[in-house]
Formats: sequence, structure tokens, C-alpha cells
Amino acid sequence: MLEAQGLSFSIAGFSLLRDIDLRVEPGKVTAIIGPNGAGKTSLFRLLTGEQRPTAGNIALSGRPLGDWSSTQLASVMAVLPQSSRLDFPFTAREVVMMGRIPHATGLVRDTAIVDAALTAVDGSYLDKRFYTHMSGGEKQRVQLARVLAQIWEPVTDHARVLILDEPTSSFDLAHQQLTITNMRSFAAQGVGVLVVIHDLNMAARCADQLLVLSCGRIAACGSPQQVLTATTIKQVFNVDVSIGINPLTGTPLVIA
Amino acid sequence: MHRLPPRAFMVVALVLLVLAVLLGLLVGPVQIAPVKLLTLWSADQDMDGRVLELIRLPRVLLAALVGACLASCGAVMQGLFRNPLADPSLIGVSSGASVGASCVIFFGGFGFLGSGLGLPAIAIGAFLGGMAATAVVYRLATSVTGTSVSTMLLAGIAITALAGAVTSLFSFFADNEMLRRISLWQMGNLDSANWHRVMVIAAVVIPLVSVLPREGRALNAMLLGESEARHLGIGVEQLKRRLIVLTALGVGVAVAVSGVVAFVGLIVPHLVRLLIGPDHRYLIPGSALLGAVLLLLADTGARTLMSPAELPTGVITALLGAPFFVALLLRQRRGLVS
Repeated sequence: MLEAQGLSFSIAGFSLLRDIDLRVEPGKVTAIIGPNGAGKTSLFRLLTGEQRPTAGNIALSGRPLGDWSSTQLASVMAVLPQSSRLDFPFTAREVVMMGRIPHATGLVRDTAIVDAALTAVDGSYLDKRFYTHMSGGEKQRVQLARVLAQIWEPVTDHARVLILDEPTSSFDLAHQQLTITNMRSFAAQGVGVLVVIHDLNMAARCADQLLVLSCGRIAACGSPQQVLTATTIKQVFNVDVSIGINPLTGTPLVIA
Repeated sequence: MHRLPPRAFMVVALVLLVLAVLLGLLVGPVQIAPVKLLTLWSADQDMDGRVLELIRLPRVLLAALVGACLASCGAVMQGLFRNPLADPSLIGVSSGASVGASCVIFFGGFGFLGSGLGLPAIAIGAFLGGMAATAVVYRLATSVTGTSVSTMLLAGIAITALAGAVTSLFSFFADNEMLRRISLWQMGNLDSANWHRVMVIAAVVIPLVSVLPREGRALNAMLLGESEARHLGIGVEQLKRRLIVLTALGVGVAVAVSGVVAFVGLIVPHLVRLLIGPDHRYLIPGSALLGAVLLLLADTGARTLMSPAELPTGVITALLGAPFFVALLLRQRRGLVS
């Protein structure tokens, strides 16, 4: 479990995050939503260990994040940043294979995992294609497959964590759905999934727990039903909406 | 675009290397019959045999080592800077070396510098100059948050310009003889090859070229981006430091013995990437092999094209390299290759 307590973060005197408590529980999908500039990316950076908080602690499996060696951490925690620039003509397979760098499972096992990860993102047909020739959505799927391959199977007793920043930003409807399915199936294996997401309806459909950030603070936290109310959304996004029920999934449906 | 299987490429490059070595040994101002190769290191040598052993063989080996070194360091730099058009001289080594070399030529009397290693003072001056420039570039780009490669690129440009100005100053105040030596040194030349020098270079280049491919996987991950590499468990800052030290050392030594040999470090990795793909585990050794072949051929050309006069090797590599590079760029822009 990834757990943060009392996180605060400021740069050059500007306070970007204040007093954030957060738990990414194994087997659950936690989504962070909030307007632009609310501090989602800063929180993402702190939780992935890219930046150190000004105050507060982050622990993974009960151990402070800073105490993990980079290799150990990489074998249980996979992180997908928002945009990945790769200007070299690797094939999709080679890119996904890089997800296996932290592991020493051997070429046979790694190849099987890469196949499975590519299939999971509907990317089998990309196998031998060059990354530099792909569309934005295809590139994003290959990167997603890479991080899925990284934590495809458990390696130690520690729970695995998957952290995704806007994973569906350039996906079409079918691949958005597929990504939800993937997050749910990893959660079902006991992986703690944390996703930063803009689309409130996507968040409602994929998450067990929603965390609403506003001006660097937690404005609301709880299940989609608890959090996605017209009042909260008016308060945080300053938009009038009405809330319906998605007839297919039974989750809240934000109608703007 | 079709890729060659890396192993097949290595075999072809090795065969080419053997052929280039033979060509370099037998062709020159004096053509030598292949049978004379059998008299290497034997007691009953004639004149041709001695030319082979004392002049041709060290020169051929030096060309191969320098070529391998520059090309594999170029492959590493292009990975580190995440730019397929990066050149090993980006971190200021070559321009710093020029300052060191021209300083020694200008002031003279630095003979004590090289006496320990039996190398000329110019080579030692060039090496020290190259290391100093790289150290400055590295320091400028490094802060508490780590080394920024983009700052390094900019600092490299600034230091290169500054070093260029200092070299120009030396040239401006130099007399005719010094001026000629400075400009000849800058053109890049392998004509000073001897066995002693080959040994010194081999002692640096062979370990370097065997160590660099081990960083291949980490460099591949670096191409995804620094934070992505970190999330894959790569110690990014240590990796950068290690690679910068190793390439500075390699390029510094190569430049010290041969002057500035242009384009090998830029073109060879680029070409090898087109042939076998960007995986650094194969790209680095592949570049080393092809770099050795190309510099050998260029040097053989330099020795024979206007024989008995010799052209500077660096002039040949630039004359052939620049148009070739432009052709690659144009092909790429037309989308024929990626």
C-alpha cells in the first residue's frame, strides 16, 4: 500500500500542496481529479518519488519511499508520466521490453509478458512497427503496455502499485474502455492503482475512491457516489451540472 | 525500413575490418606484396617488411583504435543527449584539446609533460585541455538537483566558442611555424603513429570499448526520458556521470593522439542505427567496428590519394562525411528511412 500523510509542497515560496493525506490501497483504483493548476501533477511527482515533499511522509508497504533502492522500487511500482518523448526508431516490442529492465526473469518469460501486455492494450499489431511512425494514441498505448509489463506479475511479498498520469488523453472511446478494463483487472490482482484523470465520467467509471484536489488541498474524498455531487462540482470547478446515473454501469454521470 | 539482424551486421563489419586492415597495410606510397606480411616480426626482413612492421602496422592499428573510440563514444553521447545528431565533441572535449595543444605549441618547453608516458607534449596538453573543458561544462550543468543534459548542451556550445576564441588568440600571436603546426594539428592527422603510441591508446580504448556496451540497456531506458528511466530503476545521475567521464576520457585520448578527426563520431553511430536499430547493446559495439573500418579507409585514402604527399586524415573524413551526412538527412526527410 502506498500511503501519504500530511504532504505539503512548495516551490519558491508558493505553496502548491497543503496537508494531503492519501492511501492507495491494494485491489482498489484511486483517481485524482481536479481543475487545472489544482496540484495534480505536483502530487503525482511526490508520490512517484520524483520530488521530495516539503513536509509529510510517503511510505510504500510501510517503508518510507526514500528508503527504497531504485531497483527495488521499480520492481513493484510502475509509473506512466503524461507524455513520453522518444525520438528513436525502437519497435513497439522493444519499448515494451524496456518495462522488464528491473526484472531478471529471462528472455522467454519476458517475451511472453511483452506479448500479453501488447495484447492487453490492443497493440499486438504494433509489434514490429517503429515508435517514431505511430499515431499519438498508438504511442500512448505502447507506453501503457510498457508500464503494465513492468508489474505484470508479483515479485516479492510487497503489493504492486501502478501510477498513471492521464493515461487516456489521446485514446478513442474503445481504448478508453479498454484502459478502464486494464486498470480494473490489475486492481483485481491486488495491485494498487492510482490514476490522475480529467474526465469526470471516466473517473466515476474506473475508480473505487475519488480524490478531488482544489487549490492544493483535498476538497473531497470518497466513493464516486459520495464525491460527484452537483454541489462539490460547483464548488471546485465552478460549473453547474446535474448528476444522473449511467444506465450501463450504475455509476454517477456528470452532465454539463 | 528493414533492419539487419545485429549479429549478421557484426560479422559483416568484422570481415570489413579485416579487409580494411589488409588494405591499409599493403597500400600506400609504396605498394607492398601480400607475402611480405609473413615476414612481420621475423629476423629476415627486407625494406618492405620493415615499412610494414614499423610504419604501416602501428598506423593501421592507431586508425582502427581511434575510429572505434570516437564512434562508440558518439553512440553513447547521442543516447545520453537523446539526440541522434549529437557529436562527442558537444561536451567541449575537442575544443578544449585545441586550446591545450595550441598552448603547448605556442609556449613550447612543455617537454616534461609527456616524458613519463613517452608521448609528445602536444598530446598531453591536448588531453589535459579536453578534460578541463569537459569538467567545466559538467560543473556548469550540475546543480543539487542533478545534471541537466540540456544545460550541458548549451554550456558545451559556450565553452566551445570560448575555447575557439582562445585558440584563435594563440594562432594570432603565433609565428608562421607555430601557426602551421596549430592548424595541422586541428585538421586531425594520424601520421605520428608509432608502436609506443598504439600501446598507450590501446590501454585506454580497448577497456573503454568493452565497458560501454554494458550500459546499453540503461541507455535505452534513458531514451524514454530521464524520469521514465528512473522509474525503471536506473540510477540516472550516476549513469550520466559515468558516461560523461568515460566518453570524455575516450574522446580526450583519441583527440590527443590524432587531433580533431571530424564526423566519425557523428556519422558512424547514425549509420549503424539505420542498419540495425537503436538498441545500444548492439549499437555501441557495432559503431566501434564500423568506426574502425571507416577511419582506416579514410586514413588509407589520406596516405595514397596525393602520394607521395599525405593529406590530413581529418580533412578526408570531413570531405566525405559531410556530404554523406547531408544525404542521410535528405533521405530521412523524404521519409524513406526513419
